[in-house]
Amino acid sequence: MNCESARQLIDQLLDEELDAGLRIEVRGHLADCRACLEAYARLQDQKAEIQGYAPHYEAPAALVASIRAAVEREAAGEKAALAAGTKWRWAAVAASVLLAVSLGWNFATLRSGGINRDMLEESLLTSHLRSLIGTHLLDVVSTDQHTVKPWFNGKLDFSPDVRDLSGGGFPLAGGRIDYLAGRTVAALVFHRRQHVINLFVWPVDALAGASPWSRQGFNLVHWESGGLNYWAVSDIPVSELQQFQALYEK
Amino acid sequence: MVSGPALPRPARLEWFEEIVVPHLNAAYNLARWLMRNDDDAQDAVQEASLRAYRFFDGYRGGDPKSWLLSIVRNTCMTWRRRTQRGLSTVVFDETVHGAARESTAEEQLVDAGRRSALRDCIEGLPVDYREVLILREFEEMSYKQIAETAELPIGTVMSRLARARQRLEECVSGRRRAAGV
Repeated sequence: MNCESARQLIDQLLDEELDAGLRIEVRGHLADCRACLEAYARLQDQKAEIQGYAPHYEAPAALVASIRAAVEREAAGEKAALAAGTKWRWAAVAASVLLAVSLGWNFATLRSGGINRDMLEESLLTSHLRSLIGTHLLDVVSTDQHTVKPWFNGKLDFSPDVRDLSGGGFPLAGGRIDYLAGRTVAALVFHRRQHVINLFVWPVDALAGASPWSRQGFNLVHWESGGLNYWAVSDIPVSELQQFQALYEK
Repeated sequence: MVSGPALPRPARLEWFEEIVVPHLNAAYNLARWLMRNDDDAQDAVQEASLRAYRFFDGYRGGDPKSWLLSIVRNTCMTWRRRTQRGLSTVVFDETVHGAARESTAEEQLVDAGRRSALRDCIEGLPVDYREVLILREFEEMSYKQIAETAELPIGTVMSRLARARQRLEECVSGRRRAAGV
């Protein structure tokens, strides 16, 4: 083994990430090469220095207490919200916005025991609104579909089809895990000029419906593909959202 | 009415205690290094913990620490991006701390000097390098765990870690020279 190869492997040797064969080879080189051995020793010193002298911060007790309190409040809030037939405690806020248009809504239950269309719409809209006003539009930030899609691996029990539609004027911004109507769903985020499109994806089960829908200036477009539900929500015109759908389905 | 989550409420709180709470120190340490101040770190961990609770059914076994830290780092990175987007000037991590600072006589002599030099130099690393270094040296994660937590290819983890160490060494030895040690 030469110095160049050895230098590339000494970090891995230090971190115990080398398999036995390479470990022996690198160690053999270090035994013969003073310069590489010194480089390795500097790495060892640095590791020891970090472990001995760099501050290792501990969570303040008040923070842990505050987190516990917040989670318990959340649990209590959900219980109350569930009793009221909605999922999120802040849904009350969104509901007041939606109330004006909700009078004519059709409460058709799509499947007995399942979620009805009205609740689904509300969940979709509130998730969309929440993503706009909250601090968490994205868990994974990437314009690369090959980064975004694998990110969902292990986080969901299905694999959403992720596409970057930059060519069509809908660049991919990233994705996040969201919680909608009692299950975990994938939320893919796209941009259209200054607007945001949330595309919610989950397996086809009980939920279906006509498309598009328009509510309070927001438009919802739905399609199914490959056993998954796709719901796109945005404030861009229906025609553009349908253009988005057409590009996505292509 | 709603097809409910897999666990009833008390079990979910219990799960939170078992899966999330034990790793809050690691969560805070990571956030503290990424955000470089206590206030933002506390806010980020609070937010990330609530997200972990809300999306608990996104957890499908595996290493709970990696899972939690992944949420924490995403929270931190999102906040950092937002903060920086609002500023007209980009935050230059390296230039803030890269130049050797005037050291006090006391710092030259005592451990406090080593500590502050190390802290400043680590905080001065670009955040992408800092992140892998913290996960490796403080949390003692394997490359594979770091790759999962930071959502990076393993090769990128290795190259960033090597670069981080190299820059850290340059910075620390620069500080020592400036301090006349």
